[in-house]
Amino acid sequence: MKPPGLRGALRHSLRWRLLAATLVALLIALLLAGGLLAGLFRDHVLRQFGTALTAQLDQVTARLDVDAAGQPRLDPAGLSDPRWSRPYGGLYWQVDRVSTQGAPGSQHGLRGQRGVLRSRSLWDSELQAPADAIADGTVHLHEVAGPGGARLLLAERSVRDGSAEPSAPTPADAAPAHGRPVWRLMVAADLAETEQAITRFNGTLAGSLAVLLGLLCAAAVAQVAVGLAPLRSLQRALAAVHAGQSPRLVGRFPSEVQPLIDDFNAVLDHRAQGVARARSQAGDLAHAVKTPLAVLAQAATAARTDPAAAAELPALVTQQVDLARRQVDRHLARARAAAAPGLPGSHCAIAPLLQGLLRVMERVHAERHLDLDGGDIDPAIAFAGDAQDLQEMLGNLLDNACKWARTGVAVHATTQSAADSPRLLLQVDDDGPGIAPERRAQVMARGARLDESVPGSGLGLAIVQDLAELYGGQLTLGESPLGGLRATLLLPGVRA
Amino acid sequence: MRILLVEDEPTLRAALRRSLEDAGYVVDEADNGRDAWHLGETEPFDAVVLDLGLPQLDGLTVLQRWREAGQAMPVLILTARDGWHEKVAGIDAGADDYLTKPFHTEELLARLRALIRRAQGLGSPLLRCGPITLDTRSGRVTLGGEPITLTSHEYRLLAYLMHRPGQVVSRSELTEHLYAQDHDRDSNTIEVFVGRLRRKLPAEAIETVRGLGYRLQGGA
Repeated sequence: MKPPGLRGALRHSLRWRLLAATLVALLIALLLAGGLLAGLFRDHVLRQFGTALTAQLDQVTARLDVDAAGQPRLDPAGLSDPRWSRPYGGLYWQVDRVSTQGAPGSQHGLRGQRGVLRSRSLWDSELQAPADAIADGTVHLHEVAGPGGARLLLAERSVRDGSAEPSAPTPADAAPAHGRPVWRLMVAADLAETEQAITRFNGTLAGSLAVLLGLLCAAAVAQVAVGLAPLRSLQRALAAVHAGQSPRLVGRFPSEVQPLIDDFNAVLDHRAQGVARARSQAGDLAHAVKTPLAVLAQAATAARTDPAAAAELPALVTQQVDLARRQVDRHLARARAAAAPGLPGSHCAIAPLLQGLLRVMERVHAERHLDLDGGDIDPAIAFAGDAQDLQEMLGNLLDNACKWARTGVAVHATTQSAADSPRLLLQVDDDGPGIAPERRAQVMARGARLDESVPGSGLGLAIVQDLAELYGGQLTLGESPLGGLRATLLLPGVRA
Repeated sequence: MRILLVEDEPTLRAALRRSLEDAGYVVDEADNGRDAWHLGETEPFDAVVLDLGLPQLDGLTVLQRWREAGQAMPVLILTARDGWHEKVAGIDAGADDYLTKPFHTEELLARLRALIRRAQGLGSPLLRCGPITLDTRSGRVTLGGEPITLTSHEYRLLAYLMHRPGQVVSRSELTEHLYAQDHDRDSNTIEVFVGRLRRKLPAEAIETVRGLGYRLQGGA
């Protein structure tokens, strides 16, 4: 046998299907959770970093002073962090001059001098802040490139030397003395450490989630194994049936599969019964037909020598053939019935089946000009069994009624709701001579014929009774309101 | 009356043919479905006796094809298939009657007579035409209550006409229905038999309609 591929395994194994589905769901859930947590952490850390940087900016702002010449001064001694003074130490400040001689909002007015004052840590480089118009009192944060290609977070604000309003517009490149200078203060800190912290956190997070995934997968495997264990015992039970060790599925199964087991066992039982019945029927039939054959063989031998026996031969043959035919009819009817009783789920509607039989009766008994009344049968009424078996029962009853009726035959079907299962009640009435009560049992006896003048095997009613009993139903004969015989058939029905 | 007998079992076919001919019918035979289908489509039959289990083409299929082609002759199914569902299938395929094997020859003949009669819309097995009475059950013919003796050819001719009282029946129609397919047909012999029949019946009973054929007079 070729080993099944992945697709084959998924298609044919419940276990693999469940595991694959669980794995995919877990992966999706954990990836989403990991992404969300990493994002939240990064967001939080960067916000903390920004807050700290803004505090540094406040410190620097507080120490900014403007001398008499209008030049800014900043006393570095007041800034305690050693990183301010160490070259490329990771924490920087810078003051730019922004010229505002232009009309408010004019882009041409925003020109000034970069790096008027800088922290020692900047050494020989400058902070390159993006061109930006900052309203008074607001702080802007930017990510910029710093000395040595380091990534920096930069906080900036504008500070105005608060004295007089400018009197008149002046050229953009005029000396600062002609206008009121605006100072742009910026503080920047290296992001490297923070980035490292984020990377470390992400690594830990990924590791934890991987361990979680492993644990959840192990749990899923255990769950599938425990959940599907009954199916394994079902497989074993089935193997025992295959091997002939057990006639049916034995074991305790969960309530979800128990109905399937019950139905399957019903089918197995039905098959076993069918085989047993077929064997006994074949034996019965052989026995029944062999007797007339033996009689015929003997008569043929006698006829060769005895003229008297030869003269009787035609009548004897007719009689024995008739006998053999009845036996064949009866056993055939029983053999056909092997199909359905006990088989779950079989059912057939009464109305269309009855219509088909009435069409046959109209043709076959056309000479009798009978009035055949199929009634108005509710299309929902159904028989819990095989259609051919019902056809056989109803066909024989109708045929019998048509043979005896004077003018008409009527059929009625109703359902009786019993407590446990619905019952189907079929009545076939004719207006013929009927059968006296004391002779009714005799009619249903094996192969009886009350009147040889009407053609037929004389087995109809006996066959109907056999079949009805196979279904746990019954056939009763009584008096019809039409004046003749009423045959009542009680059978298992189907709840509509 | 011309019957198509379709039966693949040779012994039974021979016996049936004899019985049918003894009963006054002209018989054509087929032993397989294909021949039966072809014969039924091309020859006019008054009735068909059809077996179902046939080689080459199943009897039910043959019947369905005839009915689809508009062939309306009465068909009696004669088969060993005796389940009611099989009877329903046979009738629904277009059969007019259904008889299961083994069977009594008398019952087959009675059912066949009734089929032929009903196909002409006649309700009673006793056919009357003026003073002439024909009992299809016994094959007896009486004239004014007195039995008359007819040869088998004369009987067939009279029976065919009595199934169609008042209708003009052409010579060729009579030839087709009174002789089997392989018979040497000669329409002059029809005239001979009509002549003989006229001598045994009232002279005006069979009218010659010039150029068309014959008509049985004195209908009810």
